[in-house]
Amino acid sequence: MTAAFALLVFLSQAPDPEALSARALELAQQSRVEEAEKLWRQALAISPNLFSAAFNLGFTLYSQGRHAEAEPYLERAVRAQPKDFNAGYILGAALAQLGRGEDALRQWRAALALRPDHVKLMQIMAVEYGKGRYFREAAAIAERALGLIGDDASIYLVAIKAHQDAGDHPSALRVAERMLRKFPELPRANFEYGYELHRAGRPEQALPYLKKAMESKQPWEEPFFFYGEILLREGRAAEAVAALRQAIELRRDYIAAWVTLARALMRLERYEEAKAELLRAAGIDPRHPQPHLLLSQLYLRLGDEALAVREKELSLRLRRENPQAMESPQSRPFPTQ
Amino acid sequence: MFLFLLLLALSLPALPQGMATGNVPAAARAKFSGLPFPVSFVDVARDAGLTAKFVLGRSDRKQYIVEANGMGVAFLDYNQDGRLDIFLVNGSRFEPFAKGQEPTNHLYRNQGAGKFSDATREAGVARSGWGNGVCAGDFDGDGREDLYVTYRGPNSLYRSQGGGSFEDVAARAGVAGPSEEWSTGCTFLDYDRDGRLDLFVTSYVAFDLKTVPRPGEQAYCLFKDAPVYCGPRGLPFGTVTLYHNRGGGRFEDVSAASGMRKPGGFYAFTAAAADLNGDGWVDIYVACDSTPGLYFRNNRDGTFTELATEAGIAYNEHGAEQAGMGIAIADYNNDGWLDITKTNFIRDYPNVYRNLGKGLYEDAVVAAGLAVNPHYVLWGTALEDFDNDGWRDIFQVGGHVYPEIQKIDPEESYANPRLVYRNLGSGRFEDVSRLAGPGVAARHSSRGAAFGDFDNDGDLDVLVMNMDEPPSLLRNDLKSSHRWLKVKLQGTKSNRSGIGSTVVVHAGGRVQAAPLLSQSSYLSVNDPRLHFGLGAARAADKIVVRWASGAVEEFPGPPANALVLLVEGSREVKILSWPQ
Repeated sequence: MTAAFALLVFLSQAPDPEALSARALELAQQSRVEEAEKLWRQALAISPNLFSAAFNLGFTLYSQGRHAEAEPYLERAVRAQPKDFNAGYILGAALAQLGRGEDALRQWRAALALRPDHVKLMQIMAVEYGKGRYFREAAAIAERALGLIGDDASIYLVAIKAHQDAGDHPSALRVAERMLRKFPELPRANFEYGYELHRAGRPEQALPYLKKAMESKQPWEEPFFFYGEILLREGRAAEAVAALRQAIELRRDYIAAWVTLARALMRLERYEEAKAELLRAAGIDPRHPQPHLLLSQLYLRLGDEALAVREKELSLRLRRENPQAMESPQSRPFPTQ
Repeated sequence: MFLFLLLLALSLPALPQGMATGNVPAAARAKFSGLPFPVSFVDVARDAGLTAKFVLGRSDRKQYIVEANGMGVAFLDYNQDGRLDIFLVNGSRFEPFAKGQEPTNHLYRNQGAGKFSDATREAGVARSGWGNGVCAGDFDGDGREDLYVTYRGPNSLYRSQGGGSFEDVAARAGVAGPSEEWSTGCTFLDYDRDGRLDLFVTSYVAFDLKTVPRPGEQAYCLFKDAPVYCGPRGLPFGTVTLYHNRGGGRFEDVSAASGMRKPGGFYAFTAAAADLNGDGWVDIYVACDSTPGLYFRNNRDGTFTELATEAGIAYNEHGAEQAGMGIAIADYNNDGWLDITKTNFIRDYPNVYRNLGKGLYEDAVVAAGLAVNPHYVLWGTALEDFDNDGWRDIFQVGGHVYPEIQKIDPEESYANPRLVYRNLGSGRFEDVSRLAGPGVAARHSSRGAAFGDFDNDGDLDVLVMNMDEPPSLLRNDLKSSHRWLKVKLQGTKSNRSGIGSTVVVHAGGRVQAAPLLSQSSYLSVNDPRLHFGLGAARAADKIVVRWASGAVEEFPGPPANALVLLVEGSREVKILSWPQ
């Protein structure tokens, strides 16, 4: 038997890769993922560029969090069918998970060229651009998504975040205003508009919107915090105290709120209360430098210089050991996909 | 059907949210007041004959941090003719100079009529080297202002000998400092109230050319991922030194005994000495780069305690470290207490530390309307009344530290316009830079700045150090009927210069306080004649001087538009004539 004849016999006996891939898909739908994987690999051994096998195997691996294993199959799928939107989309997602944001964005840009109206892709691209510190690109694509649909609150939030990250607060204010017009009763919309008004140096106008966000049935801490901070800055320390206490009620580890509360109490010369709050905050997060920094100022005002110096030194040490604690207090969630 | 259809949504990991401090956007500007600003600054340096160029490394790229920070400048009347003269500290470069072409410091004599002549060599101050800062004071009490100039290397103490000449007595006096030290800030002060001016000196980093990495070699030699000179972060910290004036032209280093060496971990620049807590004893405030500011509270027993954090003048209002450069100290809200402004690095706000009384402060920069220009690295600054309306305005000069910055980030620039803020009198300022004349709009990369009335016309002018250029001399062409008062001090029990004293002028229902400082702005020296705008008031009601000796003395209010001499203990106001 010649070698050529032998190959002919083998091929005539080998299973059809398309049939293998289809059978694998049935198994996957029955949650028999391991068997499905085996069949897809068999199909690809026979037909390395079989799109259905490469894509589905890649996607299955991606779905299981096996991003590095998924990447070559998804790349193969993209090569096999460059015009397939889903292959590029998922390959971009796998690359993003592998921390290769630039490569992910390259794939997504190609996918977006195939489906220029795909708002969800624009949203995840905006997030990824932001992660890569391409804030202007993030803002531009978020605005493009907003131009296509206006009834999805998450797109507004992505655009607001992108403009904030880009330092473009006038644009963030404009989008927040649009969001509020669209969703006037949405607490988050009221908050974002109030927050941006506050950033725009219009604190008195910001307060009613923050107040409305505070009246949400599912309250969260940040409207209370910023409401209190504005009041403190406007010299209304007594009112600030009440709002800041509510922020702390909603989130006990909100150290920035504890510290701002202490500043308000110090402004009111209620030093013993301020001291008690700062000591509580220091107990909640012993590694945070800020309560100790304020305590050092407080003790100097109370005339206890030795304690003031001790707290200062502790604050300085904690600052060196725990620098991320100094980040700004904003913590509300923005869409991440 | 693909599995993709079974899972419509992808789940990417949640991002940590929140903005790190330090990359602050410009705060919104309040609605403009609409008031005219009668001040116009015009750069007359070239016509005045101020042609000496500042040299500090190469102009296109800095290899080491010693080439980047610039120098201070001074207004002083060294020949006591009633006109402000000019002293410019100069730098150097690592590339050699042709013999006789080395840059030197420059002393310019004010000839009147807006003209200056170079008196450097005849005055004996033509030193070359890596100069940094300057401070002034009559350390030997002979009635003539002396100068201390800081270097990377031994410092100079130029004792005025009279007749327009100086002698460098630093080594003999014991204040030259270690030859390897990089000194930056300095201030004369009488911390022990013995009537003699002592000396405080800051050093920036422990810089060793042999060991400092080259651009890009370490993480701290990168800016926005581009290789730049290294530091200050990553380099060994600097120190501070206190010299006690023993009399007879001799000083002794009392740094350890006075407690100055207890704090560590700072990159110190400008030093200013004034009675910040109102207890009658002069304290010291230091602007520090990339580390918290320092406040040495005078313990009244020859020692100091560092209390900047405790007093609220170490950080910004959120407790973040900043990169401090220059300092101005005066009373911006006319409550009689000394407030502090400090300039900082780019993408950050300056500070406006409002004195709550007794030396306790809070940063009011946002409320004061001064958080609107975070896109400049700021250096020299002043809290002075440029329009004579009775409220102290703010002047700031700036310039990035990397000449190649536009290649790194096109949104940032090495040369910047100057900034002027008008005090609105309500604890708020507004940016009037665009109304303040061509001298403010001109772009330079500036560092030191001194403030004084060089043409004796009753308003305040500005002298500015520009990197790789001659200085700017910004003449204030004020068109206003507002009146003014200038106060010259002469201590008897206090040091002869009156340095460290605070003058409080009561006029037109306002109370204004200003200290006489030996150094402020950025490593610079202002006009020793304290300037007060009086608005429409025809006279001051009274002047109170809180002397450096601790004495508090009230003087009768003089008429407006006058230069007055207040001699400690005399209770008399002497109106001085001066060349117009």
